[in-house]
This record gives sequence, C-alpha cells and structure tokens, in this order.
Amino acid sequence: MRHFKIGPLDVILLVLLAAGVGYLAYVVEARMNYTWRWDAMPKYLAYYDEEKGRWVANFLLQGLFATIRISILATILGSVLGLLMGLARTSRSGLLRLLGTGYVELVRNLPPLVLVFIFYFFFSDYIAQVLGLDDAVRHAPDWLQNVMRVVLAEPSRFTAFLSAAITIALYEGAFITEIVRAGIQSVEYGQWEAAYALGLSRWQRLRHVVLPQAFTRIVPPLAGQFISTIKDSSIVSVISVSELTFQGMELMASTYLTFEIWITVALLYFSMTFTLSMLARRLETSLARRLG
Amino acid sequence: MKAWRFIQVTALIGAIMIFVVNSAQAESVRNQLAQESTIEQVLQRGVLKVGMDTFVPWAMKNTKGQLIGFEIDVAKQLAQDLGVEVEFVPTKWSGIIPALLTGKFDVIIGGMSTTTERNLKVNFTVPYNYTGQAIVANKNLAPGLSTLEDFNRDDFTVAARTGSTAAEAARKFLPKAKLVLFDTEPAALQEILNDKAHVFVSSAPLPAFQAIEHPDTLYLPFKDTITKEPTSFAVRKGDVDTLNIFNNWIRRKELEGWLQERALYWFNTRDWADQVE
Repeated sequence: MRHFKIGPLDVILLVLLAAGVGYLAYVVEARMNYTWRWDAMPKYLAYYDEEKGRWVANFLLQGLFATIRISILATILGSVLGLLMGLARTSRSGLLRLLGTGYVELVRNLPPLVLVFIFYFFFSDYIAQVLGLDDAVRHAPDWLQNVMRVVLAEPSRFTAFLSAAITIALYEGAFITEIVRAGIQSVEYGQWEAAYALGLSRWQRLRHVVLPQAFTRIVPPLAGQFISTIKDSSIVSVISVSELTFQGMELMASTYLTFEIWITVALLYFSMTFTLSMLARRLETSLARRLG
Repeated sequence: MKAWRFIQVTALIGAIMIFVVNSAQAESVRNQLAQESTIEQVLQRGVLKVGMDTFVPWAMKNTKGQLIGFEIDVAKQLAQDLGVEVEFVPTKWSGIIPALLTGKFDVIIGGMSTTTERNLKVNFTVPYNYTGQAIVANKNLAPGLSTLEDFNRDDFTVAARTGSTAAEAARKFLPKAKLVLFDTEPAALQEILNDKAHVFVSSAPLPAFQAIEHPDTLYLPFKDTITKEPTSFAVRKGDVDTLNIFNNWIRRKELEGWLQERALYWFNTRDWADQVE
C-alpha cells in the first residue's frame, strides 16, 4: 500500500465533490416530488419468519443470489468457450481460425438484448422442447430438484434460467476469446522459437511456455470481463428471469418506492463487482510476486 | 342391367366405407385435439401455469414476497377447482402475448382488456371483470381542469405504460397531446410526479389511489373512467376445450357472486394495503 498525502488540490476536489452530492440531494429533496421511505427497505432484503423461526431472504436478496448463480454459470461457460475459441483464433488451421473469427464477429456485433430475445425464443421453444428439458426437470427426483434450486434455479423457471445463462456466456465468450487471443499473441515470438529449439511439440510449447505467460497478462482484462458479466446479467430481466434487476422492477411495480429500490439495487451490484475487483487485484499482485 | 346393379351396389358400399372411414378419422382428430388441448396438458402436468405482470391491485407482492391481488385470487381459485397446483410466471407486459403463444404458460390472467387487435392473436374467454381507463393530472402544470377535452392540447404530455390499453385510450382521446411510454407503471407515474407530464392514464382504480397518496401533486379531474373495457383470460387460438372450461368457470363464479365479492375487496377497499407495505 502506498501512502496518501492530502494536498490543497485534494481538499478542493473533495469539497467540490461534497458540494455536488449535496446539490443532488437538494434537487431530489426540494425540486422533485418524492417522499423517501427508506424504513420500508430492509424487510425487502430479509425478514424474520415466525413460522420457520429463522431469517429468510426476501426478494431483493433472492434476486442477488440469482444474479450470483447466473453470473457464475455464465462465467464458467463463457471462459471455457472463450479459451477454446481463443485457441482456435490463434491456431494454424485456417478452418479453426475462420470458426473463431466468425463467432467473435457475429456475437460482438449484435446488441446483447437482441441476442437474449433470439436465444430465449429459439432455445426454450425448439431446443428445450425437443430435448424435453422442461418435463425432465419437472419429473426429476426431489433431491435433484433441491440441488438445482440451490445451484441453479427453481425447476419451473429452469429453461428460462438456462437460456439466460447460456446467452450471457455466448456474449461474454466473444470478448474472452479476444482477450485470450491477445494474451497468446502478446507472448514474444522468441519464446515460441526457444521452446521449439528445446524440441517441444506445439501443444507442449503452448501449455508449458506460452499459456502461463499469457495468463498473467490476461488476468486484468479477464477480471474486467467477469465484472462485466455480473453487470450484463441484468439484461436477462427482459425475459423475466428473476435476477436482481427483475426483482427490483417487480417490487417497484408493487410498492412504487422507485428511487429507494434502484439505489439499493445499485449498491447490491456494486458490492458484488467491487468484491470481485479486490479479489482480482490480490490475484494480480500475488501472481506478479510469484513470477518475480 | 346386372352390370348397372353391380355398379350401384359398389358405389353404395364405397360411399358407406368413405363415410365410416371419414367419421373414424374425424373421431380420431377430435380425440387428438382434446388430447393436445391446453387443459388436458394442465391436468396431466398437475400444474396450471399462469402468465401475469405486477400491477397494483391486480397482482403485487406482499412484504414476504408472495403474490397477492385480484388476479392471484382468481387464478388460485381456478386452479383449486381444476384440482391442480398453480404456478405464476411473472412476465413483462410488452412481451406477454408472445410468451403465451410460444407456450411459456397456459393462460394469461392479468387484467387483460379484450381488444380486437389482441383478439386476432389470442382467444379470449367471456369477461370475468370490467375495468376502465382513468386519468390523474398534475396540479402544478395543469391545475383546475375538469373535462377530458381540457387535456387534449398539443403542449400537454401524457404518460402511460407501453402496450397497455391506457396507451391506446390516450392516443384515442387525447390525440393532440404528446404521449410518452414507459415499461412499468411506477416509471410513468414518476414522470408526472416530477412535473414532466401533465396527465397519467392507467386502469382504474390506480389513478384514484395515486391522487389520494400524493395530494400535493396530483388530483382527479373527474371521477368517471374514460373507457369501459371487459377483461378476460387469454388462451392460445383454436383451443375450444380450454375456452369452454374457462368460460363456464367464469359464468359460475359470477353467478355465485364470488368474482364480484373479490373485485369489491381489491378495487373498492384498501383493506389489503398493510400487506404490501
């Protein structure tokens, strides 16, 4: 940790910042017609259930958990896809390069909202129906349904959840592909030559020499992409997946506590992404230390 | 002569056979239709999937996150009478008809007004309730007005929800005013509370409730609704079995007085208000 020194400029900036926040508060308070009811908010996060005799997460926290589950699933799927496609983009085979390029250009150049709709209607209407996914989930044994409820989503909303997670994975995967490609290509050509001179096969060169070096370079952009995944997951609220944004909007429709809910939702997103930022920074410093 | 007779008999037998085969086919087509009807699938699945969107006091969440409201009561009672479980699928209003058509749920019970335009895409049951669009106005921007015609000015702005009959009513009755549409009711309401819109159009009794809640900003120019609209369940087209069962259920519940009693509770009282806040 470097030490902060507060100079006169910092003081001026801080005062300006405080004045800005104060002015905003004044505008909302005096100019806009809005009665704040923050006291109503905590119970929408969690409440004490007297029948069960324990604290239960209410819809905002449930939405937060759903967002976390979607983000984790989408990140795993997106990373696998991104790694494979990134390798394809840097492969010597023209066909694989074409595949990778086609995927990246197609997905990166479509608005995610359009992608979500296309995939939702296509996936859950054709693919999921042909596979009989809905019925299979509904008739799954109880223990499996319980596992799914904890790890993924309510059985009744399973296909929507899955198509949401896959769409986000597809979308993020395109960016991860480019990050992986950039990482691999940033490794100096001399490294490849040196590994070649040692008599390593192409796969061995990749695995033992190039990828480890590429990995340390792609950690910062990759972390940024994972943070993006959390934020981008809010887009699936349009297909009524009950993640944080959707839950917030539903609650607003019931209670009309517009500002309180948006601010709480923003804080919840921030708490997730900021935690991830901190973890990423730690990983970066520890990697840097280990590799000297 | 004999040959003629033979031809006659053959023709007769042929006709009979065609008739028998035809009616057998018709029978199997009928059976197949019945098997594939939504209601049959609901019974087999043991779950009635109901599409709805949050809208006070039709369907809303109480403080424990459970759905309550007029539609919720109706759907629960319907499922109970069918002997199945009910499952609610909250869906954004703008995409609710496509979601029904693509089988995301079995029926829309969501205070949907029957319009001819919608009717071309879905089948509606007989009405189970009647509603109308009402307006609430901004005190600061448009004070003291009392007829609908007063609001039809090109320097006025109307806020409503996308894809709602409120938006249609605004287009029809206030054609000169500028219409701004929002995805949800609270967003549209916020616009008028922020002095950015002169009028807010929505299904009664929501405008009246809002006028009571924000007396400093909002007022009701007149008590009546500007439209009268039947609200019905929406089902996929060509499914007579399902339609028949729902229609008769609605007629029964109406004659029993149950529907009116529930409507009275949700629309004319605020007894439920403490469950929401």
